[in-house]
Amino acid sequence: MKGVYLGIDVGSVTTKIAAIDDQAGMVFTRYIRTNGQPLESVKQSLRELRNELGELNVLGVGTTGSGRQLVGIMVGADVVKNEITAHATATVFQYPKVRTIFEIGGQDSKIIVVQDGVVVDFAMNTVCAAGTGSFLDHQAERLKVPIEQFGELALKAKKDVRIAGRCTVFAESDMIAKQQFGFSKAEIIKGLCEALVRNYINNLGRGKRLEPPFVFQGGVAANQGIRAAFEKEMGCEIIVPNHAGNMGSIGVALIVRDYIQETGVPTKFRGFDVAELEFVPSSFECSGCSNHCEIVKVELNSKMIAAWGDRCGKWTNNTI
Amino acid sequence: MKVSFPYMGTPIGYKKIAALLGHEVIDPPKPTQRTIDLGVKYSPEFACFPMKVLLGSYIEAIELGADTLISSGGHGPCRAGFYGEVQSKILRSMGYDVDLIIFDSIKRDFLGFYRKVKKIKGKHSWRDVWYTLKFSYHTIKILDFLEQQIETVRAYEVHKGQSTKVWEMIEKKIDGAYSDAELDRVKKEAQEMIDEIKLVQVPEEQKIRIGIVGEIYVVMESSVNMRVEERLGELGCEVRRSQYLSEWVDFNLIPARFSPSREPEILRKGEKYIEIIIGGHAKQNMGAIVDYKEQGFDGIVHLMPFGCLPELISQSIMPKVSEDLDIPVLTLSLDEQTGRANSLTRLEAFVDLIRTRKNGKCIIQVS
Repeated sequence: MKGVYLGIDVGSVTTKIAAIDDQAGMVFTRYIRTNGQPLESVKQSLRELRNELGELNVLGVGTTGSGRQLVGIMVGADVVKNEITAHATATVFQYPKVRTIFEIGGQDSKIIVVQDGVVVDFAMNTVCAAGTGSFLDHQAERLKVPIEQFGELALKAKKDVRIAGRCTVFAESDMIAKQQFGFSKAEIIKGLCEALVRNYINNLGRGKRLEPPFVFQGGVAANQGIRAAFEKEMGCEIIVPNHAGNMGSIGVALIVRDYIQETGVPTKFRGFDVAELEFVPSSFECSGCSNHCEIVKVELNSKMIAAWGDRCGKWTNNTI
Repeated sequence: MKVSFPYMGTPIGYKKIAALLGHEVIDPPKPTQRTIDLGVKYSPEFACFPMKVLLGSYIEAIELGADTLISSGGHGPCRAGFYGEVQSKILRSMGYDVDLIIFDSIKRDFLGFYRKVKKIKGKHSWRDVWYTLKFSYHTIKILDFLEQQIETVRAYEVHKGQSTKVWEMIEKKIDGAYSDAELDRVKKEAQEMIDEIKLVQVPEEQKIRIGIVGEIYVVMESSVNMRVEERLGELGCEVRRSQYLSEWVDFNLIPARFSPSREPEILRKGEKYIEIIIGGHAKQNMGAIVDYKEQGFDGIVHLMPFGCLPELISQSIMPKVSEDLDIPVLTLSLDEQTGRANSLTRLEAFVDLIRTRKNGKCIIQVS
């Protein structure tokens, strides 16, 4: 049986899973939409993994992304890691000389500055979803262009259109205005890609020295229009890794591999059968004080196995 | 008088002054979501976060029966100096009949300070006042001394959350101590409790020390800063703040000649980045960062309330400071939002960054 390390990256929009062997060779990757159900999407990916590769000997499992805690509980993760560290680990592993990582996902975007293979600075967008995959998704739907063809279409534009960046609310009204002027869909999409990149560099890159080589990853890296806009803005080549969308999951798989190999502890992975278990997440408002924290709890066989969301530790401390 | 005051870190120190001068003390409620909601509702939208939380705290204290509120003012060109006036206007327009006494620095307005003290003093002799002030100064000195130890051991505790629980017990004990003898006894007990916390042994070169700088209210009050000290402690970092109550007293209330305050020195160190006092503690923060670097700290967490003018200025100087001193800085902007996931991710990644820088390699902390 083949020994693998699993990395699971549960984002707001998509769920990514990667399996690597003990030499860090890629065994399996999958990229699917979360559809608001992180647990289901992870179960589905695990089933697909088992169906395609047969029984595997899982030596370790790590989770990352905004759903890392919840899914970490479900699969029995050995390592639960933030996505900034996970992304940087994967990129540095594949491109040891990388200096700047652009990562744009569904709900957030980051710039990570690397020096000699070590993260030295990073920036992450705030709660606003401007300039992320969700916004592109929304605009693709409005223009009735499938998101998969969005980038390609941008490359076909013959003219430049300037669309306001800064805030996507302005960008949207600007786009509608330009549409009424008679610009083609392709041109508008190109303008939009450029606005998004400008916005991203201005916001996240503020005060940072961005030096090549640049690596562009995250779900949005599949969009050729954005990639072209990045190349135009930075004036040099932008590397897009093969598994650009899966970098977070690959990163956390690498982290868990290092961790297990170094410490030699046995994995806490619950096994592929978790795909058949019924984990029930729910939330309630704690009435212990006037903070009224929203507590998220996870039950397995009607027994609470984890909880979080409290400020005082009343619930968090009482679970495993 | 039924006296109350806002939370800014533990309020035990000022509570003692009021109680020893014979006032009924209304224990101020620690800010919660309700406090913030109340403050946001009745404050101007563009006012900064501390003003809103303070207003909410006043309203809650009044609901509990307080008729006199005591707080400290601000100085320099920061809006905080104006809060007192605005807040008492808002409270009056809400129909509350309450006295809001704001203490500004004694060095700026001696007469005003004297009048306010006289009002609170009541019929007590000046000797009593002197004893009271000395006693509460002694109390906050002890509190800060103990809290700094907690800020260190929290990083290495075996049982997660123990230090925080011990600290809460210590606060209660000190709260109940009303004589010098009792205070000394409690201090000893507290020290024993801290010494009993079981610690993981971490090699010196792997220890991580982080300095927290920023606007004084969000730096000192844990309920509005996502309990950043505890979070960093959980991530295995020792923490120090640029602000402690006793240090504030040392600098602002004690005549310079007798003051043990390091603040003039800190201010000098900040001169290179911000020449003049631009309000709030922006200049002190610059100095504090230089000072932390000299002490061998590994990183700085910079807290600012959204829309805080002095800190907005320091934020834009941060990249230069960080580069000059070769120390990583993470700026977190705080507001009424409750979603903490985003900020926690940053804190975690920041600690990873420091750990990797320090050890050349990330020593994995399973969190």
